[in-house]
Amino acid sequence: MTTTFVDLDVRPLLSAGEEPFGKIMETVSALGEGEGLRLLATFKPIPLFSVLGSKGFSYEAREIGGGDWEVLFTPAGTAQPEETPAPLPASKDEEWPQPARHMDNRELDPPEPMVRILAAVEEMNPGEVLSALLCREPIFLLPELAKRGHRWQGAFEPDGTTYRLLVRIEAKEA
Amino acid sequence: MIGASLSRWTMSYFAAAIVALITALGLMTAGYGYPHAPVDAPPTLIIVHLVAIGWLSLLMCGALFQFVPVLIARPLANEQLPLPALICLLLGLFSLLCGFLWLDGGIDTTLPFFPMAATLLGLGFALVVWGLAHTLLTGRPLPLSARFVAVALAGVALTATLGIIFALVRGGIVAEPHLVDLTVAGVPIHAIAGLGGWLTFAAMGVSYRLLAMFMLAPELDRRGSRLALHLGSCALALAIIGGAVAICLEWSRNLMLLAAGLPGLAALAFYGRDMLHLYRARKRRIIELNARMATFAFASLGLAVMLVIALLALGRLQEQVAAVVFLVAFGWLSGLGLGKLYKIVAFLTWLECYGPVLGKKPTPRVQDLVIEKRAQKWFYLYFIAVWLGTAALLWGRPLVFQTMTLAMLVATLGIVVQLVRIRRLADVKVDDRFPADTRRPALLHAAVQGI
Repeated sequence: MTTTFVDLDVRPLLSAGEEPFGKIMETVSALGEGEGLRLLATFKPIPLFSVLGSKGFSYEAREIGGGDWEVLFTPAGTAQPEETPAPLPASKDEEWPQPARHMDNRELDPPEPMVRILAAVEEMNPGEVLSALLCREPIFLLPELAKRGHRWQGAFEPDGTTYRLLVRIEAKEA
Repeated sequence: MIGASLSRWTMSYFAAAIVALITALGLMTAGYGYPHAPVDAPPTLIIVHLVAIGWLSLLMCGALFQFVPVLIARPLANEQLPLPALICLLLGLFSLLCGFLWLDGGIDTTLPFFPMAATLLGLGFALVVWGLAHTLLTGRPLPLSARFVAVALAGVALTATLGIIFALVRGGIVAEPHLVDLTVAGVPIHAIAGLGGWLTFAAMGVSYRLLAMFMLAPELDRRGSRLALHLGSCALALAIIGGAVAICLEWSRNLMLLAAGLPGLAALAFYGRDMLHLYRARKRRIIELNARMATFAFASLGLAVMLVIALLALGRLQEQVAAVVFLVAFGWLSGLGLGKLYKIVAFLTWLECYGPVLGKKPTPRVQDLVIEKRAQKWFYLYFIAVWLGTAALLWGRPLVFQTMTLAMLVATLGIVVQLVRIRRLADVKVDDRFPADTRRPALLHAAVQGI
């Protein structure tokens, strides 16, 4: 028996700074017999593995570029898919180009990382992406980016000490 | 939303707290309260509550409304609570002080000061605890520093509960025998709950995060750090809940407090080891004034612990307890508080004034708002005066003690002048001070821009 997958893309929720856990659990409880979940996220959702594992799902995670992850949650008792389905065609709104600028701000005293990122953001063109490495979550920067209308994705790398932030520049306010 | 923004009323809490500290130091310098009056006399209680509620609790509440969101990367659950909480706490403190004056015969009117204080302080602290606990609930699983704050909130709830019981008994509203016993014998438990469970625990939690952040040191969440949390919580449960039960059941209160002392001591030892590790593992070699002054506060905490052990060994803790409380309140909690205020006020003012134009216009750096050399001498004077003041209490020299509280008052005023200059951006070069689209932050509250 081959598993059919219900798709759930939580990247827009994560980019908007919202918590996707409720939506994920809602989708999981609505799954039919033998149905699995294909989840698209902006980071490897490690905590989910054990949560869904306890509900009898096995998982298979792979990076699909741009820091995004695709995870297939397969219910127990069904065969693994023979071939991995192609990633969802991302809508135009969700296509994030390769970063045009990279910054390593891990060794800078706060609030210098925020100062430099905002300076770079102001210099860049709409549609471009900035990638920055930080040594902690930039708590005061994120609301400021949102206030200026830019979109961001961020998460700790698997090492747990480096925070990787991607900022996509949106059109400047008039 | 992920992230944190400026807390609108934190500066108002800080300002009210500073007024209370200056008033308390002024009264002590004038010879009001201990050592000229007994430890449990109304004048001493006025000073103690001015310091514990007016200065330290308001300082901590203001700081937590700003930093709990930073600890868990989530905004405050209810932005409307801090202002009514502040108003309740101030009115409640005023009623409480009037109640003590009334006990002392200083006020003739027979307004129900103690019931008013119990209601208003109870409501104020309930709003604080509810707002912060609700915020913490959105950030689970909690990082270590936030777990310390969660225990601190339990600490303030217990302190306030005991305080309310005392106020209702003193005010003649309640005469239940167990609660009367608790009022007579529970003062040490109330003090341990307030200074230890509430203020020290909150200071520990905030210091784990702020010191790591500002010195570029690793976030600690190792076995020893968790042991500090668990042993400390265990000590507080024994001292506060165990102590209260012991009084009600007529067991030995002091035995219970001694039993709490062991895990408490171990918790502080693990915490001290962690703080030492943060300083040693920092990537930032030259540290700022606030981190240097924090070391004096940690030293004061260490001294207080050694003093307790020495006095216990000599069998003189009971008669010298005021010196220990003085060192904990002024050396450890106030010392750390003043040092952190110097950094926090600069950082928040910088963020409020220049945050919206960062990257768009040249802006001053945070360091341009402060002149550390000017502030440093006041901090040195402050800590030396606290330590000599403690010695004066131990050796029974009231005049020397008053001279030292005068020195602390002068030092505090010196630091406050620097804080006001920071808030007014007075030390930023005039030409750079207000780039286009920026304006001077208000002295006593923050302008919060919607997102």
